Amino acid sequence: MGTVEFQAVVLAAGRGTRLPELTSDHPKCLLPLGPYPMLWYPLQMLQQHDFQEVIVVVLESQKTEIQQTLEKTPLKLKIDYATVPSDSDFGTADSLRHIHDRIKSDVIIVSCDVVTNAKLYPVVSKFRAHNASVAALFFPSGFEAGITVPGPKTKHKPERDLIGIHPDSERLLFLASTSDFDEEFVISGHLLRKNEKMNIHSRLVDSHIYVMKKWVIDYLTKKDNFSTLKGEFLPYIIKKQMSRMSHPSHIEATSEVGVNLKFEDDIFQYAPSNKLEAQIVKASLYNDSVYKEPYGGDLVRCYAIKAPKDCIGVRTNTTLSYYALNSKISGLWPQLFPNNDYPLISPNAVVESRQIKDIAVADNAKLSEKTSLTLTTFGLHCTVNPKVIITNSVIMGHAVIEEGCKISNSIVCNRAVIKKGSILKNCLIGPSFVVDEESTKEMVHLTNAGGFMEIE
Amino acid sequence: MEQFQKKDVVQAVLLTDLRPEAFKPICDNSSTALLTLANVPLLDYALESLNRSGIEEVFVYARLHMNDIKEHISKRQKQGCTWSINMSVKVIGAEGCRCLGDALRDIDAKSLIRGHFVLMEAETVTNANLSYFLEEHKKTAKYDKGIAMTVIYKEVITGVRTGDEVMIAMSTDNKRLQYHQRIKTNFREQSFAMPLDIFLQNSNVALHHNLADPQIAICSPLLLTLFSDNFDFENRDDFVRGLIINEEVLNSRIYVEMLPREQYARRVSNWLTYQIVSNDVINRWSYPLVPDMGICCLRQQFLFLRNNIYKHESATLSKLMSKENIVLDSGSSVDTGSKLSSVVIGRNCKIGKNCNLDHVYMYDDVVIEDNCSLEYCLIGSGAKISSNSHVLEGVVIAPKTVIAPNSNITTPSETDPIAKRFSISTQKTNDTEELDDEEDEEWEVGGFLKMRSVPFSFEDSEYNSSTEDELSSHGSPVPDDTNIFLSEVIDSLTRGYNEKSNPDFLILEINSSRYAYNMSLSEVNFYVTKAILSLPKVKESSANIVQNLHHVLGHLGPVISNYIKYKDAMIDCLKGVEDCCNQEEDFKAKVAQIVHYLYDKDYVAEDAILEWYENLSDESEWMKTHLKKLIDWLMASSEEESEEE
Repeated sequence: MGTVEFQAVVLAAGRGTRLPELTSDHPKCLLPLGPYPMLWYPLQMLQQHDFQEVIVVVLESQKTEIQQTLEKTPLKLKIDYATVPSDSDFGTADSLRHIHDRIKSDVIIVSCDVVTNAKLYPVVSKFRAHNASVAALFFPSGFEAGITVPGPKTKHKPERDLIGIHPDSERLLFLASTSDFDEEFVISGHLLRKNEKMNIHSRLVDSHIYVMKKWVIDYLTKKDNFSTLKGEFLPYIIKKQMSRMSHPSHIEATSEVGVNLKFEDDIFQYAPSNKLEAQIVKASLYNDSVYKEPYGGDLVRCYAIKAPKDCIGVRTNTTLSYYALNSKISGLWPQLFPNNDYPLISPNAVVESRQIKDIAVADNAKLSEKTSLTLTTFGLHCTVNPKVIITNSVIMGHAVIEEGCKISNSIVCNRAVIKKGSILKNCLIGPSFVVDEESTKEMVHLTNAGGFMEIE
Repeated sequence: MEQFQKKDVVQAVLLTDLRPEAFKPICDNSSTALLTLANVPLLDYALESLNRSGIEEVFVYARLHMNDIKEHISKRQKQGCTWSINMSVKVIGAEGCRCLGDALRDIDAKSLIRGHFVLMEAETVTNANLSYFLEEHKKTAKYDKGIAMTVIYKEVITGVRTGDEVMIAMSTDNKRLQYHQRIKTNFREQSFAMPLDIFLQNSNVALHHNLADPQIAICSPLLLTLFSDNFDFENRDDFVRGLIINEEVLNSRIYVEMLPREQYARRVSNWLTYQIVSNDVINRWSYPLVPDMGICCLRQQFLFLRNNIYKHESATLSKLMSKENIVLDSGSSVDTGSKLSSVVIGRNCKIGKNCNLDHVYMYDDVVIEDNCSLEYCLIGSGAKISSNSHVLEGVVIAPKTVIAPNSNITTPSETDPIAKRFSISTQKTNDTEELDDEEDEEWEVGGFLKMRSVPFSFEDSEYNSSTEDELSSHGSPVPDDTNIFLSEVIDSLTRGYNEKSNPDFLILEINSSRYAYNMSLSEVNFYVTKAILSLPKVKESSANIVQNLHHVLGHLGPVISNYIKYKDAMIDCLKGVEDCCNQEEDFKAKVAQIVHYLYDKDYVAEDAILEWYENLSDESEWMKTHLKKLIDWLMASSEEESEEE
């Protein structure tokens, strides 16, 4: 090791707080997306980018299950599991901090819920070309348009970010959530004075694919007040771009009364700077400005790369986007895997049904004959008995659909059982829930968990 | 139908004299449109550029000095100057017109405008291809009937602020103006606030902070109606603001266009922009509107020489020490040994030997005698600068003024935050300098900025990461208790000082903060001292720290003496002083004075000072040199005392 330019880290220790109906005790990263679990997609993407090894951060208690599941998927990557304690409430930044001693070089940090066919090369080239501290990829939004989540009607208010990018240099200058502002959007005068122009995007989705310098991780390690990357640390470091190195003599300003007045956080202690390098950058033609000081004299530099408009980029971190991707996946499959490397229907599945259209089936799923199945994802080991009609739904692992059921626009979670003759429309069936025989349900969320009561 | 539309003449409205005050004293009795820039009246630049953009009919709306303008135009038309070809120019005007709004309402009442038209100020110098923007405007008008105006901006380097700079937000997909704010001339915007809706409704909003507003707009006939309906719209900014706020009510929108890099546009709105535009013209940014191309005359009269020297055939330019960027009109002469750079010389001027002229703009018949040195100034026609005089930054000399030999003329002090103008009233024959420095009532748009050197590169605007800024920012570190305590004490004291509240209550406040954050007594002593030195009043000027401190302690003295009672407390207090001095550059030189003051007023005792001095940390090593004298004096006096005993 050691000579690797980038290490890849996939963060899969999330609890799926934005799709609580689906996960409960089941790992979020193993939710089925088409024929494979969610976590497979970012790993597959990294593999396509010629990564040989990857660090996957998982919860300790879920490690075995995840490991076993991934072993059955077609991956050549060497996966190095890093665990975070299950009882802790770790954010993404906390997770990184926890595993920081495994990070030896610059890193690419990917969340387990990213599904994309965008290439990372533009991000990495930008990162290399400008000796950036952080480079982030952004997707065009609007993937979920026109899709409604199964279950009771909810007021879905998507989280939206305001992302400020310099139109020429692609510097990422501003990042905040729209919910940070009331009626008024306030931006620092200094930021505008210095950068002169900035485009504020409100319809970009943060891909949670970041390329970061090692020193950024080191810095993050020392600052334990950040718990999430995107929500806290990224806005902070973006803001720090504009600040100047303070008087170097003040780094240790511990007064004699024993109180340290300065925060020991000076980012410039971490950001490598040396005079020769600065002069080279200045003299070089390959910086971002010929007639001004390159990079405005900033040592910390963040870049934002917008994925091309026609590429697929989804974060399946909400029930809506999860369901949306599943219902579109058969159409997107050729775009995601243009080389036809991976079948939508696993060869290990037993598919006896004749009437199938646009379905994705995972290993060991059993789809009996005399069924009509359209636009549906079937998870591992799920069983569909004869005389069943399923359209536009997700049937997760180990679920059992008994004879004579009609299911449309629904999500049936892990180990749920739909008894004979039930009719489900727009329903969300929670994990291990058993739907009684002959029941007819519409627009409901059925679950065993006390936390999520049925709301009509 | 289409045939009729095609026959429409392309119209333009030129407004003049919207702010004659900015050009005192030269424009006291004449129109700003006739102010000459590189020896050509501004009006001619404007008409010329309109003519080049294919405008066929121009209305010059003269607010003041209508006859002068009429005369000038008919004179030009008789000469058959370039812009009079294929373009009719009419001068209109009304007595009661105070502002742009009035003018447009008047034009509307006279129903002179028949279609989309160009609205520009006569003081704008541009080589922009307006016909292109007019076409774009018409295209937009086809699908948006509510288009009222397309404003045209030019990207500039914003290091220097002239009052013409704006910050705008525009949606990139349809180029609609969403927000508009004129940038103040004094660099102060801590932040910009815009309605959040702008960003939620548009997927991509471009913020531009680097634009100058040359006051060029393409307008729809709708604009005139809007002005007539809303008689509170006085100037274009009112209009823009009103339209953005009431977009839905008025159902009209403003669009934005940027001038491409190679096109130039700038408005002359005050002496500073006069200077900038003059230089731009000399440096040929406004090509083809440059002196040697013969603006509004059919014959080229200037020779264009190396280093941007434009010399009239009949002018004489002796061998100079150094010379660049010079316009030298007919009949003028420059004697030997003079250094000239960025100088405009009118007709029949005489410049003596060994003069040093830098950014000087001269009208006709100016005489400058030998050995004068002039910088950044403008000299009215017929003025005379006698030998060995110095005229410095920003001075505007009225016509026919005579400056006595050996005079030194400057504008009032630089440090004054408000730009002051200085002019010498006419017909003074001796060297009494009459200061005519009226202060501007406020920082108006297009305030009276004076000429000055414009730095080539600009210092970064400082990022003041004030504590509030850090605290309010999400994700920033949570400040520890000591910092909160310090800021609370500062707040209490500032308020206490400003409101002159009872010191006892302040002590109570500080004590409650102390218990809230669990501070030890010595920390309290330390921080209270720091807080006092951090008060805005104390910090406001480094020169009179001690005096300010005296003021503050006059009121807050009881607070400090409540805490600083014993030797240990005094040492804590001195450490507070030390810490402040280490942090504040301004305080460094004053440390001895501060300590001495505290000693004088019996806040700290001599032995405490001595002990503190002995134990100064390495970081404060520099202080020893500053304190040496004071300590020596203290030692000496204590020895005296002991001897007396």
